[in-house]
Amino acid sequence: MDECRAAVPGLRSSTRRRTPAVLACGMVLAVTGPSGRSAETHEAVATPPAALFLEAHCTRCHDGDVAEGGVRLDDLPTTITTVEAAERWQRVLGVLNAGSMPPEEEPRPPVAAATEFLASLSRSLAVARRTIGDQGRVGTLRRLNRREYANTLRSLLGVDVDVSSLPDDAGAGGYDTFGSSLFMSSDQFEQYLAVGRRAAAGVIDRWRRAAEPLPSRSTVRTEVEIAARRQMGGLLNGYFLGGYRKAREWEAAGADPARAKDFGFPDEHEAKFRLRAYEQSGPYLGQYLALPKSDEGAWLTYHTANYHHTETITIPADAPPGRYVLRLRVGGNEKVPVSRRFLEMGIVSADDFRRLGVFQVTDPVQRPQTIEVPVTITPDGARAFSFREKRHADAAAASFQNALARATNGVGLDCALWIDWVEWEGPLPDPDGADRCLALFGSVFHPDLDAAATRAILERIAVRAFRGVRPGDDYLDRLVLIHDAQRASGRPFADALVEPLAVMLASPAFLYLHEPDADRAGSPVPESTAADDRHLSDLELASRLSFFLWASPPDDDLLAAATAGALDDPGGLAQQARRLIADSRSLACATGFTHQWLDVDRLDFFRFDHQLHPDFDEATREAAKMEIYRTFHTLLQRDLDARRLLACDFVVVDGLLAAYYGLDDVSDPAKPKPITGDHFRMVPLPPSSPRGGLLGMAAILGMGSNGERTSPVERGAWVLRKLLDDPPPPAPPNVPQLSRLDGRKISVRERLLAHQEEPQCAQCHRAIDPVGFGLENFDAAGRWRTEDHLYRMNFVMKNGPHGKVVDVSFPIDPAGALHGGPAFADFFELRAAIAARGDDFLRGLVSNLFAYAIGRPVSFADAEVIDGLVARAVADGGGLASIVEAIVTTPEFRTR
Amino acid sequence: MHPTRRTVLRAAGTALALPLLPSLGWRRFAAAAPVTVPTRLVFLSFGWGVTNETWFPDRAKTGVDYDLPEGLAPLARHKGGITVIQGLANKFSNEAHWGSTFYLTGANRYGVPGSSFSNSISADQVAAETLGAGTRFTSLQLTSRDAEQSGHGPGLSLAWNRQGKPLAGLDTPLAAYERLFGDETLPLAERQRMLRERRSVLDAVLVQARSIDRTLSARDHDKLDEYFQSIRDIETRLAKEESWMTTPKPRPPLDAPGASLVGEQEIALMYDLIVAAFRTDSTRVITYRQPMASLIKSMGITVAPHDLSHYTPGDRMEASKRRDRKQSELLATLLDRLAAVQEADGSSLLDRVSLSFGSNIRSIHYLDNCPTVIAGGGAGIRHGRHVVLEAKQTPLANLWLTLLQGVGIETDSFADATGTIGELRA
Repeated sequence: MDECRAAVPGLRSSTRRRTPAVLACGMVLAVTGPSGRSAETHEAVATPPAALFLEAHCTRCHDGDVAEGGVRLDDLPTTITTVEAAERWQRVLGVLNAGSMPPEEEPRPPVAAATEFLASLSRSLAVARRTIGDQGRVGTLRRLNRREYANTLRSLLGVDVDVSSLPDDAGAGGYDTFGSSLFMSSDQFEQYLAVGRRAAAGVIDRWRRAAEPLPSRSTVRTEVEIAARRQMGGLLNGYFLGGYRKAREWEAAGADPARAKDFGFPDEHEAKFRLRAYEQSGPYLGQYLALPKSDEGAWLTYHTANYHHTETITIPADAPPGRYVLRLRVGGNEKVPVSRRFLEMGIVSADDFRRLGVFQVTDPVQRPQTIEVPVTITPDGARAFSFREKRHADAAAASFQNALARATNGVGLDCALWIDWVEWEGPLPDPDGADRCLALFGSVFHPDLDAAATRAILERIAVRAFRGVRPGDDYLDRLVLIHDAQRASGRPFADALVEPLAVMLASPAFLYLHEPDADRAGSPVPESTAADDRHLSDLELASRLSFFLWASPPDDDLLAAATAGALDDPGGLAQQARRLIADSRSLACATGFTHQWLDVDRLDFFRFDHQLHPDFDEATREAAKMEIYRTFHTLLQRDLDARRLLACDFVVVDGLLAAYYGLDDVSDPAKPKPITGDHFRMVPLPPSSPRGGLLGMAAILGMGSNGERTSPVERGAWVLRKLLDDPPPPAPPNVPQLSRLDGRKISVRERLLAHQEEPQCAQCHRAIDPVGFGLENFDAAGRWRTEDHLYRMNFVMKNGPHGKVVDVSFPIDPAGALHGGPAFADFFELRAAIAARGDDFLRGLVSNLFAYAIGRPVSFADAEVIDGLVARAVADGGGLASIVEAIVTTPEFRTR
Repeated sequence: MHPTRRTVLRAAGTALALPLLPSLGWRRFAAAAPVTVPTRLVFLSFGWGVTNETWFPDRAKTGVDYDLPEGLAPLARHKGGITVIQGLANKFSNEAHWGSTFYLTGANRYGVPGSSFSNSISADQVAAETLGAGTRFTSLQLTSRDAEQSGHGPGLSLAWNRQGKPLAGLDTPLAAYERLFGDETLPLAERQRMLRERRSVLDAVLVQARSIDRTLSARDHDKLDEYFQSIRDIETRLAKEESWMTTPKPRPPLDAPGASLVGEQEIALMYDLIVAAFRTDSTRVITYRQPMASLIKSMGITVAPHDLSHYTPGDRMEASKRRDRKQSELLATLLDRLAAVQEADGSSLLDRVSLSFGSNIRSIHYLDNCPTVIAGGGAGIRHGRHVVLEAKQTPLANLWLTLLQGVGIETDSFADATGTIGELRA
């Protein structure tokens, strides 16, 4: 097998109901909810084909009499309800997948029968794992995940803090909203304290500054051409021309290797290198210095080596922390492609460029535009912000592209961006700082307050931090004691508040969404009596709603609605849900959910090959991810049919992606307009476009690659898992790798057809691979193509760099058929066939969104509610906001 | 405290010729048995397996007369001091991309009904309960920042506690250095005051946690118990810190590492820190979940880490072999360094260490015959041999139990162990 299916670890599979759980030919599973909540039980026995297979190929040796190798299979339980039974069956599956049974001297089972048996057993075990692992309909006490924690600090205190020292809470299976998957450790507790201290110090500082007169505001503009000319001119005349002249002198004197030292070179190689170096770089530098308007501004080079490729704005150390604005007057070279006219902003560290944003430069050098970027300077945060042409993270890309251009034009890659000047201004006033701090602290900043006032402040903030719940007196007493101790050690009143606030932000009432049990007995109640559903209190429901839709705590309006009892009836609840969806903060739901649901993190698993995919740089990759989130968000906010994710007559893109896809705005077909700017918007597509829907998105297609080549297997498995609600079982261990075709120059399709030869492979790949073939018209970075290529290393062109050149080409053959479904001739027919399975898609989406919303895996006992939600979504036309409203008004969402 | 000795130590770098004088902590611990040199355990794990064809010795040649294959060739100078074992596996492993999650625990992911994930205590933590009593750090967990891409699977380090919950690891050499040798510039009284303050923080959150706990169902109570356990762990640590408060941290036998080391350099430095931690007797139990993604990146290999484990003949397989050799080279250097440190009784540190090096993943999606190399004299293993176990699926736990008993832990069971591996003993 050239590539084996890579399953994503975790149990984020959907839970389509199979009632009774009879599978194609294999076993049938007893489904019992271990929590005791589920009353449903499906009892059944192994169906004849499975029993026959075992009888024909296994039990002759593995029975009670012989028990070859100590293994008995004649008494295998026909229902899998226990961990032990699952392990026994897992071992049967394991040896069959590994091909180690039946032994070589015994007849092999027919391929078709073995394939069916393996397919059925794999699926049965996957269902059994979920059944045994089913935690029932009871949720688990939820800690705020890292996203929610950061949003909550921002919402509560109005400060942004770096939370990267905390675990990201994704990856252990399920969503990061599942209480059962959110762990706590002593290190993490200490990180909460540390982050909390930074956040508390930030808000105390803001409180203090709100009461002080605004520090004087400066505007500092820098003309950039002088430094750029000095840098590039110095390089040309010093290193390159200087070295070249010396080397020529050495040459003229006979090029004696022994005399290289006399001309200032360590050896002859260095002298020869300096001759070449000038010939290669001299023309480029000369041309740079002669570029139009290079006496009025600075061109940014794409090539990096010591050139003027970055402009940095630094806010000096003596400027106080606060809000600032950065400005650049910038124009684009209209002779280079639109896709290169983007300015990338970031923070440069040792060998890293941390991207903060990207800006499209739409105006030409003759009429430059001004780009404004607001920034917040914190006491220990970054003060230097760098701007450069957007580029690949791979440093080799710059010199490679430059060498390619030099082979064509003899000089090098044209500059794309010109900067007239840069400036910073600040600190700017904090217009809502005074109000926000007053609301939080209950008073204006005061250098010293008495014990009662301190306690009042701590209590006031605690009520907000704990989402409306008043803390106990003994708890507050201890916070006051901590404040006292801080003061006793010499800290001023306000600074001494940092520690008790940090403690508050590491306390369970802040970190956990606490929903007390119905029976408030003195000791923990046993599970059986906890089974009674309890309606959430108004405040609890408000928290659940806002953490679902905003990944953030309730705002004042929602708290007020909760306090007024407006969430008690489904109508009031739905109304608040609609309000939250309409708010821009609902992007956090779209992002948090789709990122995990669709496994978008896979896109970051590898770096894209800069030679084969020069345009798919970091900024494009981020924009491509954003397209997924923004599309989902658009459907949500406009209550459009969620099935548009399968096929859609519009895309949601920004200028960068429009350039990448080569899209114009054709709402008026007679007058196509370019799509420019850094905001995402809906753009109609012509019917012939392969874009529109997840299957046409660069991020989705890129995830189904390794950054270099496409992986039809990854793509096919993803489609089954995410779009057709028909997840293949996880990649099995120990399947022998097919090596028959190793090293052969054949197409991916030919290579993967070998999967059909072995039952261990065919059981899954017969369903997976054809879908992947149907997507082969998209390359690894999601661009449309009609040929696939194998590459070898060579000189790319005469005088060009050494790199990948096409070795063999194959025409793409996208035709195929869904397993047990319709045939398709090309991508468009495949897309139509998948779109025709819209109800399956809705089931997968609804199950996943439901699980994400209520913070626990979907249980088998939820089948009825999921069925109801799906039926309603189908009847309602699939509107995404309507689906959300239906979910939040289910009893499951409103009770615990 | 010992300015002259310390100066010499620093000047001598890692190739130390002087016997290491026992630290105060060690002296205190060792008061009852003054001549015992402590025994240490270190477990190293890499994520995505090895190159199947070139990493394992020929199965037909066992015992001392075997040839080191290409992937282990850099260990040639240590051939007499290592043992290569074939035939070990964790019988419950099913996750073809989880090279470290159950590596030291042998747990069944689905072992607890009603839960989609469960784990159990790792071998190092069993050892730490005994060996960690007398050192400043009960155990040390090292990891990297690219664990997700390195095929390790869920977890925060190789270590899992008694409750089967993940223990966090230090993810950069700098963080490990700071933990081990970070300066305590504050005066004692100030540090005592800070300790009191940290305790009062714990008191405050505990007051609230207890009042919330009274309202919880059994399931939620179990969840909140993680919070209580975290606080208890910190209390234990604070108690230990208090007892060590008057003992200064040892002077570091190496310079502070740079902040942005990755890949090969990162592993090399973590190895140096392992040696330093043992030398200064700061801890006796260490695990290291090594980076793989950044290692291959630092070697100029551009294939994605997961794809490298699915090598096919040609560039990818060559890259996979280079990765194997590099990992063996780094390990060989670690063994050099351990051998160069002389203990108080004249033995070397390597004689007192039990080291294991391996992964739960063999290569591709194979989870059987887990690659395993052990070294060091700490567990009384007879080295210099290639051991092919008769039972092809001998539990990894059998090896861990053998090593645990070898270093003197009194236990006759661990995880799913069916016994110890007699062949390994002298």
